[in-house]
Amino acid sequence: MSDHDTDTSAVLDTLKDSLDHIGMHTSAEQIVAAGRARQHRRLAGTAAGVVLAAAAITGATLNSTPPAGDGVHVHTVAYTVDSQNDGTVRVTWDKQRYFEDHAGLQEALRAAGFPVLIKVGEFCRGPQDTANLNPSGVGPAVENVMRGERGGDGKVTFVFTPAAMPAGTQLFIGYLSPAQLAAVGGNPGSVERLVPSSGPLTCTTEPPPAHLRAPGGPPKK
Amino acid sequence: MRLPKRVRDVKQQEFTQFYRSDQAACLRAVLVSVGDRQLAEDLVAEAFTRAWTSWHKVSRHPAPRAWIVRTALNTRVSWWRRQRREVAWDGTHEVEDLAAAGSGLDPALLTALRQLPRRQREVIACRVFLDLDTGGTASTLGIAPGTVTAHLSRAVTALRAHLVNEEDLEVRP
Repeated sequence: MSDHDTDTSAVLDTLKDSLDHIGMHTSAEQIVAAGRARQHRRLAGTAAGVVLAAAAITGATLNSTPPAGDGVHVHTVAYTVDSQNDGTVRVTWDKQRYFEDHAGLQEALRAAGFPVLIKVGEFCRGPQDTANLNPSGVGPAVENVMRGERGGDGKVTFVFTPAAMPAGTQLFIGYLSPAQLAAVGGNPGSVERLVPSSGPLTCTTEPPPAHLRAPGGPPKK
Repeated sequence: MRLPKRVRDVKQQEFTQFYRSDQAACLRAVLVSVGDRQLAEDLVAEAFTRAWTSWHKVSRHPAPRAWIVRTALNTRVSWWRRQRREVAWDGTHEVEDLAAAGSGLDPALLTALRQLPRRQREVIACRVFLDLDTGGTASTLGIAPGTVTAHLSRAVTALRAHLVNEEDLEVRP
């Protein structure tokens, strides 16, 4: 090996070693979820901005404002997510199909600016969070960031308000699995509570108690 | 068209394995090329997301890591055009090293890399972090093999003073 080759190898090896500790902060699951959400958008014939999507994946704040009208509009067979001009996000989901792509729904909501963690069959809370839920499976203060509206056709649309989300928190949504739904008679269908956006969460597969509704009571989630 | 669940599971397994084994090398290659830790993370995440959506093609690519890095660098160009966000890369003056803050990177190293011309940084990225030979680097970057050699030689010369203690190079008797 010539002196020049030795010299070159030493420089390149030193450079390589100096970046040896560098790795992606983004998980494979986040990449897959973002890819699925993008495929759904393509299928639905809509296209959210690439810059906005990448920022959603990595949690980065980019230095430029997305082009006007670049809200998130995702329509799949399982759910729809639509940013509104007032800053809210209107969401519908198909109760029969949301299991198939809850990761895509989560990613779409995050891309729309709403911090959310969605699981199926698991119910999580932070160390300081109360275990108390109302009979519908909803925790304290959730109504400030998420509310249901029943349309004339009987369908329920959920309105999420990112601006009302307390700092350092995210909304946890835990859908009951089919077996858990059967155990509680189909109601509640999900658990919602505000949880810390960072730090460990304690999760259980124990579903909330069944909610026996009076005739004419509020709609099931 | 929706894929059968078994096919989707295989795709996810393959992709996840690819991501976990190669993400660091791709990130380092792009980081060397763009000189900004967060931008590199964004670009590589975007490239892997595109790889997921085109996995049938990328999984058959002869050099998937090179595909990721090439896609990330092409994306950077399109983001620049889209955002009209220009970054000083010419190295004619020192810039405040915000990108290195909190990233665990050596600011002096970033400064040294930034002072290299773009092509030299890209050649370094391919040769060092993707383990491509001269031919593979030339193919990935779309330049002649002789140009790769010349860029590498100049980049090493420029980096030597920043990276290697001269005494360490005296390996011969």
